[in-house]
Amino acid sequence: MKLFKKILLALLIVFIIIQFIRPAHNLSEQVLPTDIAKIYAVPDSVLHLLNIACYDCHSDNTRYPYYAYVQPGAWIMARHVRHGKADLNFSEFGTYSIRKQQSKLKAIVSQIKDDEMPLTSYKLMHADARLSNEEKDLIMNWATATKNNFQNK
Amino acid sequence: MKNIISALAIAAITFASCNSADKKNTDADVKVDSSATSMHTDIVQSQSESPIHGILTGYLQVKNALTNDNGNDAADGGKAISEAMAKLDKSSLSAAQAKAYNAVADDLKENAEHINENSGKIDHQREHFEMLSQDMYDLVKSFDKTQTLYKDFCPMANDKKGAFWISETKEIKNPYLGKKMPTCGEVKEEIK
Repeated sequence: MKLFKKILLALLIVFIIIQFIRPAHNLSEQVLPTDIAKIYAVPDSVLHLLNIACYDCHSDNTRYPYYAYVQPGAWIMARHVRHGKADLNFSEFGTYSIRKQQSKLKAIVSQIKDDEMPLTSYKLMHADARLSNEEKDLIMNWATATKNNFQNK
Repeated sequence: MKNIISALAIAAITFASCNSADKKNTDADVKVDSSATSMHTDIVQSQSESPIHGILTGYLQVKNALTNDNGNDAADGGKAISEAMAKLDKSSLSAAQAKAYNAVADDLKENAEHINENSGKIDHQREHFEMLSQDMYDLVKSFDKTQTLYKDFCPMANDKKGAFWISETKEIKNPYLGKKMPTCGEVKEEIK
């Protein structure tokens, strides 16, 4: 029993120490000129959905929930955000080549259609990111239309 | 005793001379081999006159792997594309070539990486292959042709929206539908 208490105490100390190791938050004060909403027409209804279902990991602004202030929650989250932004960052959409922008819009449609995105683990913690079929259609139609617009240019 | 020693000596000499004869043979073999290798290198070099040769080779590897429903080989081809891109000497490109290359480079790289990372998800590889084919078409059109290529189109691919690919053979082998429907498609353009 004594050993058990010692282990518990050690774990508690480790837990307290890791609270001081905090990853930097993904929060940008300004909207970049490369933001997708600055370069293409994004209807408010679509922008709202992107905000609640995509932007936490795919933009320069994450909404941080309470568990993001407790370690190791923030670490896991920082990792997700880093990977998400590397694949697609709506805040820097304008830095991509036109070809890559088209590919991304196509990938958005297929990821939502195949239910790959938003991630299941994300939907578990974010009820509003569980998109209805109508909401999915809204995003997919917008992405398809934006992509087709390029091709007509 | 003397007899035995001389017999041994003779045996040893014979053995050694046989050995050296063998060695000569192997030396000759090695020489032949090395000349064959250098000839081979010459061939590779003459083919790689085009700066995008390595990228095209990787692309065709992906394409041929997908016609055989082989996700692992396709993944290797994706890696080959990334490596060829890293090796490409941009300073050797003309202004027009550099423009064509830069217009697709980030997309090409990402599609190649996705194909490399998804060896177990061939449908996902094929989605990226569709985008990769567009990039590749733009590239081969802007660079000097060292071999005849074909632009093939299949209306059934890509969720029946249709998709094309680049092939080194005139015969149709469909990379989108694979063994399920290997002959769907037709040659739309001969790129010479």
